[in-house]
Amino acid sequence: METLKAKVRTEQGTHKARRLRKTGTIPGVLYGHGEKTVSISMDTHDISLAISRGERLLELDLEGGRSNVLVKKVQYDPFGKDILHVDFTRVDLDELVEVQVPVTLRGTPAGAAEGGVLHQNFAQVKIRCKVKDIPDDIRVSVAEMKVNDRIYMRDMKLPDGSTLLEDKDAILCALSVVAEEIVEPVAGAEVAEVVASAEPEVIGEKKREEAEAAEASEKASEKAEKKAEKKAEKE
Amino acid sequence: MSLMPKRVLHRKQQRGRMKGLASRGNTVSFGEYGLQSQDTAWVTARQLEACRVAATHYLHREGRIYIRVFPDKPITKKPMETRMGTGKGEVEEWVAVVKPGMILFEVAGVDENTAKGAFSRMAAKLPVSCRMVHRRLAARKGA
Repeated sequence: METLKAKVRTEQGTHKARRLRKTGTIPGVLYGHGEKTVSISMDTHDISLAISRGERLLELDLEGGRSNVLVKKVQYDPFGKDILHVDFTRVDLDELVEVQVPVTLRGTPAGAAEGGVLHQNFAQVKIRCKVKDIPDDIRVSVAEMKVNDRIYMRDMKLPDGSTLLEDKDAILCALSVVAEEIVEPVAGAEVAEVVASAEPEVIGEKKREEAEAAEASEKASEKAEKKAEKKAEKE
Repeated sequence: MSLMPKRVLHRKQQRGRMKGLASRGNTVSFGEYGLQSQDTAWVTARQLEACRVAATHYLHREGRIYIRVFPDKPITKKPMETRMGTGKGEVEEWVAVVKPGMILFEVAGVDENTAKGAFSRMAAKLPVSCRMVHRRLAARKGA
């Protein structure tokens, strides 16, 4: 477990956090276990290195006081490069926690030679396990998969003491053959139709047109009635 | 056939401004690798279609391509040698407003080098500079 040095942060708010980031430190927050929430700051290089290594359980050295913490949430800039903020939660090593764990598919499917393409529906799954037993990833062998085979969530082998918190009947991955696109030749008249229908339907315009047409037909019928009445009067 | 909406609220739109970075659509969500825009631009439906065709051809129907942007903005143009006035021109094309950080395409089910090749072919068809990004998973050792 890596040790991360942090300081208690007194300055809060967007502008102060931005100023802090310019000095090579990242703002963060520490909470959990019913204790007081503490705003902290840590060195950008240290936390970036720890997160890039995939560490999720750290020992936080907060001005001398050490505690085990779990990285709960990491906020990135819009480009996904720089870390903006990190959330830590206090944990005991024997405590049960809910975490997202990546799923790694191992091997080349047997059906790949027949044109099968492997589709992974879940890149990570949520499990409940002890903090000290959090796996780096869950490995699933796909080597024996044939075309149209599926692996369900329930087929995954989880580490001892872990519980899956996903729908067990969901499909984790499937090997299917991609159907070829059939491009039919379009006749001249059909081309004209396609071009004419290339404009999208305007919401509300159809109703307005219908209303206008109904109004026009009403007026016409009224006129016809009046004419008929006049004729009758003359006669 | 190029992408365009089936139904719209207004036939024509004003040009609008393209300021700021992408606050949404900036993470790889469906595939393993993504093509991220570094600039701001209008990407036309025709350019998106060209990218899709180039990538499909390169991948030989392997893997899966996800298009993360949709051209929902109509762009009008007046005919050539027309005097100004007499109202707004007719809709010429449909574009997607792309901001820096936005993920334009994603690829799944192929190795990294193949995805890189597909993305380089896609990037050549686009009016923005792009970079390839990986899907960010929950903490993984050695990743």
